[in-house]
Amino acid sequence: MRAPQDQVFIVEDDPSMRAALKNLLKSVGLEAQLFASAQEFLADKRPDVPSCLILDVRLPGLSGLELQKELAASNIHIPIIFITAHGDIPMSVRAMKAGAMEFLTKPFRDQDLLDAIQLSLSQDRVRRQTAAELGELEKRLESLTSREREVFPLIISGRSNKEVAVEIGTSEITVKVHRGNLMRKMQAGSFADLLRMATSLKIPYTKV
Amino acid sequence: MQSLRSPYFRYGIALVFVGAALILSLLLHTILSDGFLIFFLSAVMLTSWFGRTGPGLFAVFLSMAAVAYFFIPPYRAFAVDLEEVPYFLSFLLSALVTSWLGSARRIAEEKQQAHLDELFEQTPEAIMLVDLQDRVLRVNKRFTQMFGYAMQEIVGRYSIELIIPSQLRGQAMNERERLAEGQEVNVETTRRSRDGSHIDVSEVSFPVIANGKCIAYYTIFRDITASKRALEDLHKAQSELAHLSRITTMGELASSIAHEINQPIGAIATNGNAAVRWLAQNPPHLEGAGEALDCIVRDANRAAQVIGRIRALLEKNPTPMIHLDLNEVIREVLLLTSHEANRRGATVKTELSNGLPPVLGDRVQLQQVLLNLIMNSLDSMNSITDRPRELVIKSSRDTNGVVLEVLDSGPGWDEQLTDTIFDPFFTTKKDGIGMGLTISRSIVEAHGGHLKAERRTPHGAILKFDLPIAAGIK
Repeated sequence: MRAPQDQVFIVEDDPSMRAALKNLLKSVGLEAQLFASAQEFLADKRPDVPSCLILDVRLPGLSGLELQKELAASNIHIPIIFITAHGDIPMSVRAMKAGAMEFLTKPFRDQDLLDAIQLSLSQDRVRRQTAAELGELEKRLESLTSREREVFPLIISGRSNKEVAVEIGTSEITVKVHRGNLMRKMQAGSFADLLRMATSLKIPYTKV
Repeated sequence: MQSLRSPYFRYGIALVFVGAALILSLLLHTILSDGFLIFFLSAVMLTSWFGRTGPGLFAVFLSMAAVAYFFIPPYRAFAVDLEEVPYFLSFLLSALVTSWLGSARRIAEEKQQAHLDELFEQTPEAIMLVDLQDRVLRVNKRFTQMFGYAMQEIVGRYSIELIIPSQLRGQAMNERERLAEGQEVNVETTRRSRDGSHIDVSEVSFPVIANGKCIAYYTIFRDITASKRALEDLHKAQSELAHLSRITTMGELASSIAHEINQPIGAIATNGNAAVRWLAQNPPHLEGAGEALDCIVRDANRAAQVIGRIRALLEKNPTPMIHLDLNEVIREVLLLTSHEANRRGATVKTELSNGLPPVLGDRVQLQQVLLNLIMNSLDSMNSITDRPRELVIKSSRDTNGVVLEVLDSGPGWDEQLTDTIFDPFFTTKKDGIGMGLTISRSIVEAHGGHLKAERRTPHGAILKFDLPIAAGIK
């Protein structure tokens, strides 16, 4: 359960509920940072660690659903668990459609909340991992020359060196060199490895 | 009184007076010469006074006969010598004038007296005259009707024993002392009638002063039982209406109130879970559990407080007038309404001035006024989409007392409606009954204050009321 590097944010206008949530999280070893309003949360500089957001739907000023929209617009991908005192179905549908992890109606079972938090944190961890990996791959992609980048989709589409040479109007030997550099720069151990990277980087296949 | 005496008596006194005059004249006319005539004129005068016109003229006749017989030649005869005629006629004339003067004066006085008696008797207020020892000298007809005593049962008895309920006698004695000092005493009190039933009266007493000395006390009673009951009925009806209006408002607030209670209950449940988890650790983490339990106690108190406020507002019986901090009243109402404002997308700002002097008021009623004003403002802002919905509550002090203002950013109202918004059944709401402001105004006025409405520029409304500072506090 304990993952001290993880961070839970709570945005809840009711001070009693805020304190209670902090107590509950503390009892399972989770650190929570508290905010009374959406604006406060937006103004805060959040640490770059796996995190999730427990968000009250009704808030003074910017509402929970509006904050969700705002975060999505700013490309901030934090898993959101909504809590509400009077959840109606259309509202929960809207929240879930916009990517909420969970929608809990007060009073909720503490285990439901804790499960949702754990799920959110692990998902965020995976997402961060994936994002970090993708970032690395993109860096490698950057280091390719334009010719190598031209060759990349053709190779992963299963074309032979000869076919590639014909297509880009060069010699088979040159293509061989490009392929070697490509594998080295992308740090691909095998063709299958390169293929996986191409998928992550969304490099399009071209039909023969 | 004397006017009621029989004709025999009245004519009899003519004989007596003239007889007495004759005797005096016979005895003294040798000394007084013509001066004896004064005795006859006196007899005529007295007879006219006591017996009025008829007996007066009878006395004139008798005097003429006596004078003609005894004092005008020829003596011992009713005849009058020719040279004595002018003398005799001038006496006759004097006697007639004397008679007329006496009886006319008497009749006028009697008329005036009768008029005064009539006034005393017929006055629609009960009147009592007592002497300095509190013995009843006189009462009027209305008094006997009001208190159920017959005239003869009262006169001569002590008024305190007759009409003052035993528990008010001490107070009555104090009033009597003030009367004795020459003051007029004006009280609203209760008096007792013959059958023991109580009568609410407005009572004015004043001393009767003659030659600089107090000789008696007058008291005038007005029966106010009916008007007092009507006033009580009115107050009761007003309070019932106010109660109904509170219930209606609370109904509108129901979902917000549920939220206000649900919040601490949710927090209690969550803290309870936290405590269980702290205790389930090995070894149990007592500090964490203690912290959670502290929160539980605090939240339970908060829930109880909210419920207490609601119960007080739903209370039907009037609550006592006590010294109140207006800011406290505001905070209590906001406890019930801030969530409602939030739910409707309105922000609530308070600008409360510190150290306000207390006002004397009924907590529930003043909360009701504020509740009405806040709900009105929130309702009015429902239609606003092009600007923030903002509710501002201000408290301040001014020369007359303490002022509370509720400002909103709603549409306000048309200028020409400013005078009508307090009218009963005036409403701008689709489902309003238009009693909120009417009730609010009557509550504020019952507290000695004024409720006013102003248009706010560029838009919105200001509803404000002032309340006097509680007496004895500067």
